[in-house]
Amino acid sequence: MKKAGHIRRDFSEGNIKFSKNMVHEFFCKDFKLILILALVAVVLITPSLSPLRVIQAQQPNQVTITAIVAEPKERWDALFADALAKLRENHPDMTINIDYSVLPYADTRKQILTAMAGKTPIDLISVDQIWLGEFAEGGFLSDLTELTNSWNRSSEWYKTNWDGGIYNGKVYGIWAWTDVRTMWYWKDLLNQSSVNPESLKTWAGYLEAAKKIENSTKGKGIEAMHLVGASHSPDMWYPYLWMQGGEIVKQKSGHPEKGTYWFPSYNSTEGVKALEFLRDQVNAGIKPQINHFWGQEFADKKFAVMLEGSWLLGHFNNTEWDTLDKNVGMIPMFPVPKAGDTSATMMGGWMLGIPSTSSNKALSWELLTIMVQPDVLAPMLEKYAYLPTQKPIAEGQYSGQLANTIPYYKELISMLSLGHSRPSIAEYPQIADNIRQAIDEVYLGAKEPKQALDDAAKKSAEVLGWS
Amino acid sequence: MKVTLEAKTGRIQPYLLLAPALAILIGFLLFPLMWNIYLSLHDVSLTTILGDWKYVGLKNFDNLIHDQDFHTSLKVSLIFVGGSVALQFFVGMVLAVVLNQQISGSNTIRALFIIPWTVSAVITGFSFKFIFSDSFGIMNYGLAQMGLEPVAWLSDPGIVVWTLVFANVWHGTPFTVIFLTAGLFSISPVVYEAARIDGATKIKSFLYITLPLLRPFIIINLILITMWSVNFFDLILVMTNGGPLFSSTTSSLFMYRQAFEFGLLSKGAAVGFLLIAMNLVLAYTYIKLLRSQDKTVEIRQ
Repeated sequence: MKKAGHIRRDFSEGNIKFSKNMVHEFFCKDFKLILILALVAVVLITPSLSPLRVIQAQQPNQVTITAIVAEPKERWDALFADALAKLRENHPDMTINIDYSVLPYADTRKQILTAMAGKTPIDLISVDQIWLGEFAEGGFLSDLTELTNSWNRSSEWYKTNWDGGIYNGKVYGIWAWTDVRTMWYWKDLLNQSSVNPESLKTWAGYLEAAKKIENSTKGKGIEAMHLVGASHSPDMWYPYLWMQGGEIVKQKSGHPEKGTYWFPSYNSTEGVKALEFLRDQVNAGIKPQINHFWGQEFADKKFAVMLEGSWLLGHFNNTEWDTLDKNVGMIPMFPVPKAGDTSATMMGGWMLGIPSTSSNKALSWELLTIMVQPDVLAPMLEKYAYLPTQKPIAEGQYSGQLANTIPYYKELISMLSLGHSRPSIAEYPQIADNIRQAIDEVYLGAKEPKQALDDAAKKSAEVLGWS
Repeated sequence: MKVTLEAKTGRIQPYLLLAPALAILIGFLLFPLMWNIYLSLHDVSLTTILGDWKYVGLKNFDNLIHDQDFHTSLKVSLIFVGGSVALQFFVGMVLAVVLNQQISGSNTIRALFIIPWTVSAVITGFSFKFIFSDSFGIMNYGLAQMGLEPVAWLSDPGIVVWTLVFANVWHGTPFTVIFLTAGLFSISPVVYEAARIDGATKIKSFLYITLPLLRPFIIINLILITMWSVNFFDLILVMTNGGPLFSSTTSSLFMYRQAFEFGLLSKGAAVGFLLIAMNLVLAYTYIKLLRSQDKTVEIRQ
């Protein structure tokens, strides 16, 4: 304070006359120059006034469709290239381009939500089935109901797959392809351990086989069975819940705000039994893996048996596919409590949706419909071993080609009838985290399965507004 | 008229000179802080962000106080920050003092020491994730070669936080080394020479010359590494994502997950506000400590 006052006094009393003149000159001459420069800078950096922007502005017949999609990139490169060529053919008078960002799975949801919350105009996005409810609830997705009605192709989808794109009775996404989790094994490793693959089909046989394989592979850098201990560990627990008739959530009346709403039901007897099976695996010496490489670890032969998605085939070179069945076996099921029980699996895959912020909705819809046309989509599915959601691909003229190319294609397709999907509700990410915590608690022996699931369900009930 | 103009320009000149810095402070610090507080007093999630924002007062803070997971994250933060700061400072101090001796090649070694600090935390995280992998990591491979049992570095709740501390110390210690080395350079060799003539041993010189003269550097270093450790989450996110069982979920990671994984923006903002408060308290404590010690030295002198 004292110093500031001192400086002010110097200025006012003219003790630094020379400096004062400089200041005056500065404000009279230099300041004008700086002001002009500042104004130029402001104009340059302000998007709406920027001459650069004017130069970059598109002509009326020039359109760039923007998209955010999830890795791997190659599948989108192929799909967008073919679809864009057809779209351009439909609009010879227009110059159409696609500007798409391919993000890692973990970042895709976050980036899409952030972009849409910031009202960034994006025209097309890939939507994981479990995100649909959250995106639709937030008003981020365009309602495609009327467009799909006039499109008239909905009956060509398997009902489960078509319904997966519906939220609160409205269509928000088109399920482009799916995948199923199933059991993969290395034939030589099972042979060396004297394990009959058939024994892997039941819970008891699976545990027994784990011990045998562990004994024969010890010290070779190979683990017997893969058990997921990563953030998506609930996904590998759900099949055991579903195969016994259990559910993750179910509708219940008496919600304080919504009347009838979802209530956690995964802590049922079926859920407890399913979690007990995971605990038994840990007790049998199977280590939960906190790192997950989506099948690469199996392709690298670090595990003898792995329950993993059909995308695992993509980790083998396409040239190996012809002879893959000589080395790698596949049992189209998750182990069941006892022989004769019906198995279950989880279906995943990607939907395509149009954000509400899209500035090219009509053209984006046209592009989307081209992308899911059988002649455009089937070659991509064939190359990357994805499973179709449409009958014309799964059962029509393309089915033979897919069956000839993709190893175990028929077995994988047969699993679609065992497929279940996770609830696409806005609160799902938190519910999954509660379940993940319960699984971790059981893995580490911190709680018994019943206690862990009850505690998790209590938290999930709060998340769903039941408190 | 001219005088009036000169007087006016004289009055506004300091403000004009301050304006750019103030604009940056307001735009990038004050506004986000106020926005964060505003957000923490409403009920906003990613699914309601485009709708009306419901004012809820201190409800988000109240929820946090009763959230067991948040309590756990505070405990984890305390261990992670305490362990990281203590080890980073101790190892950094030892290395800085050793490298300050007349050793050939000390400049090259100093330059090499900077490398871990220049590597991004994400890359550090991935590297250590592979090194400490329970089944296929080189650490457990080494233990097996020595006939020892493998250690669940990243999946044992009692060990995982110390694995993270180790990775953070590797990543952060070079900063302490460089910072304290700069402090050591500022101490005149004449002081040590005088002490040596007076019969002071090396240990006494360190305790009674180096440490007191290095105190401002030490305090600033402690403030910085403490704040960075409190806010640090990318390495943890990559290595463990907070697991198993929240045993490596620090408060900053808790905030990130609430806001960006679950989309609970207001809850995340409330945690963020508490973290800012925590940082301010820590910085204030360190500064008070510095000033009280300065006064003690003045009294002694």
